[in-house]
Amino acid sequence: MSCENAQELISLLLDGRLPDEERENVVAHAGICRECGTQLAALQTQRAALRKMAQAPVPEPLATRLNVLASHERERQLSRVSIRERARRMAASADLVFQNLMRPVAVPVTGGIFSTLLLFGLMMPNLSFSHTNGGYDFSTAPQGSLVATPWDLGADDDAENFPVFASPDQAKSDYVNIVNLTIDESGRVADWSIVRGQLTDEMKDIIMFSHFEPATFFGIRTQGTIQVWQGLPPCKYAHCSATVRG
Amino acid sequence: MATSILDLSAPKALDGADSDDFGLVESLRTGAAQAYEELLARFQQPVYTLALRLLDDPSESADVVQEVFLKVFRNIGAFRGQSSLKTWIYRITVNEAHNARRWFFRHRRKEVELDSEPDDARNWKDVIPDGCLSPFDAAFEREQHVMIEAALAKLSPIFREAVVLRDITDMSYEEIAEVLGVSLGTVKSRILRGREALRAELAGSLQDRLAPRLVPKTAE
Repeated sequence: MSCENAQELISLLLDGRLPDEERENVVAHAGICRECGTQLAALQTQRAALRKMAQAPVPEPLATRLNVLASHERERQLSRVSIRERARRMAASADLVFQNLMRPVAVPVTGGIFSTLLLFGLMMPNLSFSHTNGGYDFSTAPQGSLVATPWDLGADDDAENFPVFASPDQAKSDYVNIVNLTIDESGRVADWSIVRGQLTDEMKDIIMFSHFEPATFFGIRTQGTIQVWQGLPPCKYAHCSATVRG
Repeated sequence: MATSILDLSAPKALDGADSDDFGLVESLRTGAAQAYEELLARFQQPVYTLALRLLDDPSESADVVQEVFLKVFRNIGAFRGQSSLKTWIYRITVNEAHNARRWFFRHRRKEVELDSEPDDARNWKDVIPDGCLSPFDAAFEREQHVMIEAALAKLSPIFREAVVLRDITDMSYEEIAEVLGVSLGTVKSRILRGREALRAELAGSLQDRLAPRLVPKTAE
């Protein structure tokens, strides 16, 4: 056997792919030929060294990635195999999307509701609304009444000549002097105008010093008008009152 | 003389493995969790080793392995059992490694790696030495692996695939022919030439290392 033939067969010899007779020839040649023997030994050593490289450890991150990949692909495969599994997977995906959408909103919304309730509960005792309507229903006409005057009405000798208050809606009587007073929200006289006759001293005193309970409209104070009559007859000044038009 | 140290036994029969493969493939098609675990347990290490020896780049190999298993899981329904599961998976691995190598040469050849030592990127558990080996043996083996990896990297991809499949993953000639999609004669030829080329590379690198480097200088 020539060296050229032997060297071509050494590789097959290493892999055990030579018939018995041919194998013996090559081995015998390698035993007597230094060059072929060296080549056989070198290839054996090389092969043994390569065999030791067969166990490269799989990096831990790669193993983890492969497990995750297998898990995902299994889910995918299951969804292809079974309609029920596909529906379950879709429901799980929808649930996940819903959770992801709601979770960032849920905490602020809950906190907002609870803090609103807490603050509103704390403020409630301090919240008060004026519902003064003079004892009348809200739908009735607002009323006002004389609160204070600088004179003592009962002790006045000239009581018969003392002015009386009336609503502008009332029919005009025989009084000589009639004055319209505009009462503001604070109960003061804001303006006046003479309807008939002249402005008497008593009327001036009323304009200057009297304080009225202002008119209200649905419980809210508002501007109103009152008339002052003076100059004639019979009147009981002690219970003068006025109806105020809002 | 040589017969005493040679493993001259015939290649193993694959009948038992084929029946196991059939059951495993069927379980994978039905989505059994155990089948997925078994597939990874059986093949993730050899596939990673094969990819690493073909590419010589741990990060690139990890990407290839991931791509291989993705294809295996996605295409398991198309596996007809005409070849063994192992051959089928190795064939995908070789093709993916081939694609990755082409992509590497097109896109990343000009990149400069900041980390000059690839082992630095590995987990400490991956590089901790085996307690069974003495420090000298470990260092020697490591040095040997580095030399072989460097020599493998210089081989033509065609020969490299044949040598790696035969000598590292220990596949039979018939399996290699199936994996590479070539005839048995071509496999024999590639293995022979690949081994010779590797031996020449290793001999050359050894001579480079052992030869004293004398730099002539003129006397001042």
